[in-house]
Amino acid sequence: MTRAYVDDVSAERLASLQEQNLELSRLVAELRNEAALRTQFLSNISHDLRTPLTAIITHGEILRDGILGELTARQKDSVSGIIGGGRQLLDMIGEILTYARGAANQLTLTRSEFSIESVVDQVCALNESLVAKKGHALSVSIESGLPPLYADREKIAHVLGNLLGNAIDFTLPAGRVWIRCSRAAQTERGHAMLIEVGDSGIGIAPEHHELVFREFAQVDASASRQHHGTGLGLAIARKFVELHDGRLWVESVLGAGSRFYFTLPVRGVP
Amino acid sequence: MLPHILLVEDNAFVIGALRLLLEETGHRVSDASSVAGAARVLHADPPDVVLLDLTLGGEDGLSLMSSIDAAGARRPVVVALTGHDDPATFERCAGAGCRTVLVKPIRPLELKAQIATWLGERAGS
Repeated sequence: MTRAYVDDVSAERLASLQEQNLELSRLVAELRNEAALRTQFLSNISHDLRTPLTAIITHGEILRDGILGELTARQKDSVSGIIGGGRQLLDMIGEILTYARGAANQLTLTRSEFSIESVVDQVCALNESLVAKKGHALSVSIESGLPPLYADREKIAHVLGNLLGNAIDFTLPAGRVWIRCSRAAQTERGHAMLIEVGDSGIGIAPEHHELVFREFAQVDASASRQHHGTGLGLAIARKFVELHDGRLWVESVLGAGSRFYFTLPVRGVP
Repeated sequence: MLPHILLVEDNAFVIGALRLLLEETGHRVSDASSVAGAARVLHADPPDVVLLDLTLGGEDGLSLMSSIDAAGARRPVVVALTGHDDPATFERCAGAGCRTVLVKPIRPLELKAQIATWLGERAGS
């Protein structure tokens, strides 16, 4: 083989590799662009769906609040149904948008320092009437001396609210639901807090433990009708926890309740 | 004289709902569906309060703020209306000079009470 021949082959190979590189860069750019377009599309659709819903809900509330004259109790019930359905739809549109942003890595954290207790209190207060309606016993235990969190308060409240809502929904009346917060074993990344949301409910078969975190997946299709979800709640909750470098998982036995756990790193604690 | 509210919003159904609410609770209402239309009302018939939707077709509602600032002493109270309750939107609106941000759908009695507060502040200033 002559030197000139080897040089020719190398030059040809180099040119081909460079071409492949260019093609790959182009494909990556195209995929990124597609993801951005998809998020933009979902964001636009979400705005377009929200706007007329806003009009429906506002008209309903004007009637319900008696601004156009007092309604009878039954008329008020009917209008409240329109408002309730509208607000539920609005929440679902919000979830789809949040999910799309998460999938496109467009979610950011707004961190502040707060106590886990304050978030637990807030979420429990929001669910008080649901708990009472189902006759559940809700208990909260928070290890004393837990350090404050430095996290996105709104997102942590969302995660806790989602887990507690599921625990209440998927537990037959007069069941037990609990929240426990404690120090987690030290990890490589430092100290962490462990938050558990448990229930004495219907439970989840082991083969479905990962399925519940997958988007648009409900273990039981009839449950999704009963529990009015988008099928995105746990996928979003896991995304929110992972954005904080935490982990969210479930331990459960079918028929014997579920325990959802998540960890959150804690800054500078002994 | 009834307090004058300018509604800047591009959806006719939302305008209809808010106009009904505001008129029934003792206000005079003008509406505009674009920044240019809103600027014309600001000039011709200065309002006391502007309820400003952030997304007007392809326009950014906050681009109305330069016309608002030109009103000087008669500057109306401007309140942003949005469907997005993220901190970035709140910051952008505060930075542009909005009194506050209301997330749609606004609860009627809450809006009524807040407008009364803003009008009170304005009368006192």
